[in-house]
Amino acid sequence: MLKGKVALVTGSSRGIGKAIALKLAGEGADVIVNYFRRREAAEETAREIEALGVTSQVIRANVGDPEKVDEMFDTISGSFGRLDILVNNAASGLPRSALELDAKVWEWTMDINARALLLCAQHAARLMGKRGGKIVSISSLGSSFVLPKYTAIGVSKATLEALTRYLAIELASRDICVNAVAASLVPTASGMLYASGGEQEMPAPPPTPPAGRLVSAEDIAGVVAFLCSEAAFMIRGQTITIDGGTSLAPFSLE
Amino acid sequence: MSAVEDTVKDIVVKIVHCDREILKPEATFQDMKADSLDMVQVLVALEDEFGIEIPDEDAQKFKNFGDFVSYVEARVAEKKG
Repeated sequence: MLKGKVALVTGSSRGIGKAIALKLAGEGADVIVNYFRRREAAEETAREIEALGVTSQVIRANVGDPEKVDEMFDTISGSFGRLDILVNNAASGLPRSALELDAKVWEWTMDINARALLLCAQHAARLMGKRGGKIVSISSLGSSFVLPKYTAIGVSKATLEALTRYLAIELASRDICVNAVAASLVPTASGMLYASGGEQEMPAPPPTPPAGRLVSAEDIAGVVAFLCSEAAFMIRGQTITIDGGTSLAPFSLE
Repeated sequence: MSAVEDTVKDIVVKIVHCDREILKPEATFQDMKADSLDMVQVLVALEDEFGIEIPDEDAQKFKNFGDFVSYVEARVAEKKG
């Protein structure tokens, strides 16, 4: 259980981040809801967290902007004076293939999806101090496999996973456990918008994983909560795949 | 033209790289050839410039450049309030 712990979930106004925030709150943690664009949704998430009997705070910050990251952690330091769990979930990107990408989109994607882990982990390690803590990032199958129009995001997720390994070792002696989860398509608003090419609702249902259904945000939240528990203390620098078997069975048996 | 409108034009031109002349009140984002990342970056630049917040819940209602300017003017006036 996470009673007395303070968790920050970046990008938790909706989707996977929200499910993780609610899961950690359900296990007793006070949860800071970071958002960038959707204030009303973030405030609703915070209300749902507080209904679970724990404390919540909403902090706006674009995690791709180093100054805003600094300000976010100054706020956390002032409000809570500590941090025990960092869930690096916030992500962004546009559906573009390699030849369609320009430097602006590349940098935007890398800054939010990959560099934010570095900057947030630096602050988090300081606030975790000698108590140690947990850092979990949300990656995707696009880090290892080639998905259509996913180039910059896929590369940013590969960077995220490599950085997870480095951080895991460099922070190991401080009792900070650093890991990631990599999911296949999760039918959140963002996931479905992306799968449709960014313009409309999904035209056809995505392929069903061998496990018989799509991965849900709650599936991911459960694994993240496990990685935030003491049972996972000896798991370091790993990326756990959550895809219902999709990556092991790319060709249908039927 | 208000000072706010002038600054909004400066920001849109700098980020979207469109001609300043096309930024009439009725100009749509298609007219500006702005993609979704351009729009987010314009919103963030406006927020930093004017010290306001423009959440997506509001930004999604903007249909053209005029909506943008009116919104920012209203928020800036509110702030001075």
